[in-house]
Amino acid sequence: MRILLVEDDRETADYALQGLTREGHSLRVATDGREALLLASCEDWDLLVVDRMLPHLDGLALVRMLRAGGTTTPALFLTALGEVNDRVAGLQAGGDDYLVKPFALAELAARVEALGRRAQRQVPPETVLSVGDIEIDLLTHLARRRGEPLDLQERELRILEYLMRNAGRVVTRTMLLESIWGFHFTPRTNLVESNISRLRTKLGQESDAGPIETVRGLGYRLHVRGR
Amino acid sequence: MSAAARLRAASERFLRPVLAELRAAGLLTVPRFARTSSFRLTLLYGALFSLSAALLFGLVYWIATGYVAGQIDSAIATEIAEERADGGGTLAGLKAVIATQARDASPGAYYLLQDARGHVVAGNLPAMPPRMGTQEWTLHNGSVVRGRGLAAPQGGYLLVGLDASNLRELRHAIGYAFLWVVAGTLVLALIGGSVMSFSVLGRVEAISRASRRIVEGDLGQRVALRGTNDEFDHLATSLNAMLDRIEALMGGMRQVSSDIAHDLRTPLSRHRQRLELALLQGDSVEQLRATLGASLADIDTILETFSALLRIARLESRADPPPLLPLDLGQVAEDVTQAYRAVAEEQGHHLACQRMNPTPLRGSRDLLTQMFANLVENALRHTPAGTTISVTTARIDDVAVARVCDDGPGIPTAERAAAFRPFYRLEASRTTPGTGLGLALVAAIADLHGARVTLSDNRPGLRAEIRFDAKPQPTAEPDPACLARVVALSHRRLPEPYAMRVEHMLRAIHALMQSLHGRARPGP
Repeated sequence: MRILLVEDDRETADYALQGLTREGHSLRVATDGREALLLASCEDWDLLVVDRMLPHLDGLALVRMLRAGGTTTPALFLTALGEVNDRVAGLQAGGDDYLVKPFALAELAARVEALGRRAQRQVPPETVLSVGDIEIDLLTHLARRRGEPLDLQERELRILEYLMRNAGRVVTRTMLLESIWGFHFTPRTNLVESNISRLRTKLGQESDAGPIETVRGLGYRLHVRGR
Repeated sequence: MSAAARLRAASERFLRPVLAELRAAGLLTVPRFARTSSFRLTLLYGALFSLSAALLFGLVYWIATGYVAGQIDSAIATEIAEERADGGGTLAGLKAVIATQARDASPGAYYLLQDARGHVVAGNLPAMPPRMGTQEWTLHNGSVVRGRGLAAPQGGYLLVGLDASNLRELRHAIGYAFLWVVAGTLVLALIGGSVMSFSVLGRVEAISRASRRIVEGDLGQRVALRGTNDEFDHLATSLNAMLDRIEALMGGMRQVSSDIAHDLRTPLSRHRQRLELALLQGDSVEQLRATLGASLADIDTILETFSALLRIARLESRADPPPLLPLDLGQVAEDVTQAYRAVAEEQGHHLACQRMNPTPLRGSRDLLTQMFANLVENALRHTPAGTTISVTTARIDDVAVARVCDDGPGIPTAERAAAFRPFYRLEASRTTPGTGLGLALVAAIADLHGARVTLSDNRPGLRAEIRFDAKPQPTAEPDPACLARVVALSHRRLPEPYAMRVEHMLRAIHALMQSLHGRARPGP
C-alpha cells in the first residue's frame, strides 16, 4: 500500500517507517501538517497515518480539511492523548482509527492492513458473509460451518464476523477489545483468549492452527481457505 | 493665555512640588482605615443625612419664622389701618392718634411720626431715616423690633413696630438645633465608619495572615470563620474548600510519587540485572533474542503502569473530564460481566450479574466499564477457584448503587482503607501480576461521577459497593478570567497593601492548580 505518514518526531517516524516497510508497504514521510495537506491533496494514497500534534497544522485539522475537500482515504491517528474526549474528537474529525502511543509495531501493522483493505473492498450490501466453509447470514444472525448451524451467542457471533471481515489478516487483541466489547483499556486477564477459545470450541476447532489461528505475539487470524 | 489659565498654570507649578514633598514626608497619606470602602460609604451616608437635616431644618425655619413674622406684620397692619382712619388724613390728626397710642401702648409697641423735615412729631422712638416697607431694627437697649414704615400726610413719615425678640429667639433656637444635629450626625458617622472599617480590616488581616502562611508552604492552614455568615465568612469558606482540594491533591501526588519510586524500582532493577547478565554471559543469538523479548515485556508492563497512573492523575485533577451522558448502570455492568464470563468459567469461578431495577445515571460509559472490569478482575485474581462473584445494580431510595461481591477470602478490615492507595498490595498478593493500581483507578472514576466506593465484609468475602449519591464534581479548571475579576474586585474594595496580599495569594493558588492540571497532561 502507498502510505503517507505525517509525524514530526524523527524517532517515531523512523520506527513506524521501518515497521511498515517490512510489511511491504511504501511510505512517504511528511513532517508538518501543511506539507501533508499538500501531498495528500495532490497525490493518491491508500492510507494516511497522522500524528495529532503537528507544527503549523495539527492532525485533526488536517484530516478535517481533507474530508471537507472530498478525500476519502482512510486515516489512522497516532497520539499520546488517549482519553475518551481525545478519541471522540479524532473520530469526529474524520479519522477511521485511533492508536495511542506508545504502540507496538504489530499493532500498527495490523490496523494499517485492516483499514487499507476496508477501503479497497467493493461494498455491495451483502446479506451473507462467507469465508472458507464458514458463513454468516447477516439478516437472521445465524452462522454455519460446512452447512451445520452453529449455536453462537451474540458476542461470539460478532467476534466471528469481525474475523471474517478481516480474513487472512492479523487482528490484534486490542482491536478485538475495542470493536467487540468497547474496552479502551488493557484488561489484566486474558479475556480475549478465553472468548476466542470458546468460539473455537463451538466451531469444532481443536488446535491453535485453524481456521482461527493464533499468531504469536500478534493476535489472531482467520484462514481464508479453511478446513 | 487668559488670566484663569495663567493662574492655573502658576498654581500647578508651585503646588505640585509642594504636594509631592508633603506626600513624601508622609503627611498627606490618608490613614488606612479611612481608605476602606465601608468608611467612604459611612461618610457618604453622613453627608446625605446632614443634607436631609439641612433641608428639613430649612423648611421648619422658613415656616416657623414666617408664621411669627406674619403675626407681627398683620397686627401692625391692623393698627396702621386704624390709626390712619382715626387720623383723618392730616398730619395733625395723625399726631394726636399716635401720641395717644404711644402714651397708652403696652410695652413692646413702638411708634414714630416724623414731619417732612425729619423732626419727631409723636411717638416713643427717636428720629430715624425714613425707610418704607417692612423692616427690622435694633434699639439702643438691644431689643429687636419689627415694623413697617409708610408715608404720612404732608410729606411725613409713620413707623409702627412691635417687639420681635421672640422671633429672634425662635430663629436662634432652630439654628442651634440644626448645627447640633449636623455636627452630631457627622461625628457619629465618623465614629461609626471608623469602627466598621477597623472591624473589616481586622477580618481582612486575618485572611491575609492565613494566606501568607499558606503561600509559605503550610497547606494545613485554614482561614477562621467568625460565624457571622457574612460575605467574609463566605469568602473564608470558599478559600478553605479550595485549600482542602489542593491539600488533598498535593498529598495524593506526594504519596503517588514516593510509591512510584518504590514500586517501579523493582521491575527496573530486575530488568537491568537481566540485561547485564546477558551482556556478561555472551549467550547465543537465540538466547539474546529471548532476553530482549523478556525485556520488552518488562518495559511494556512499566509503560502500562505509567499509563494507568497518568489516567488516574488526569481523572483526579479533572483536566478535560469526559462528558457525562445518560446511560443505564445495569447495562454497563451486564456488558462487562458478559465479557468476563468465559474467563471466569475457565478459572473455575462463577460470575453472575443481577439488575434489580433500571438504574439511569449520567456517566461515562468508557470509564464505568473500566471500573467494573477492574473490580471483576480483582475478584477473579484474588479468589480461589469455585468462588462465586456477583455483580448487582439497583436503584435504592433514588440513588444508583452497584456492588461487586465475592465469597472468597476478602480483605482484612485494617487493610480496607489502604487498599485504594496506588501500588498498595495485600501481603497475600505481593507476587501476583498486576499494577496495584486497579482500586486506585476505581476510586478515581467513582469520584469523578460523584460516587463513593467502600469495601466491606461480605460475610464471607469482599463486598465492593459504589454509591452514586452525590452530584458529579464540577471541573476545577482554573479560570484566568475569573482570577482577573476577583483581583480587580479586591483592589477596588480593599486598601492597597491588603489588596496586594490577597492578589498574591490568589495568584499563587491559581498557579498551583494550573501546574497540577499541567502535570497530569501528557506530552505530544
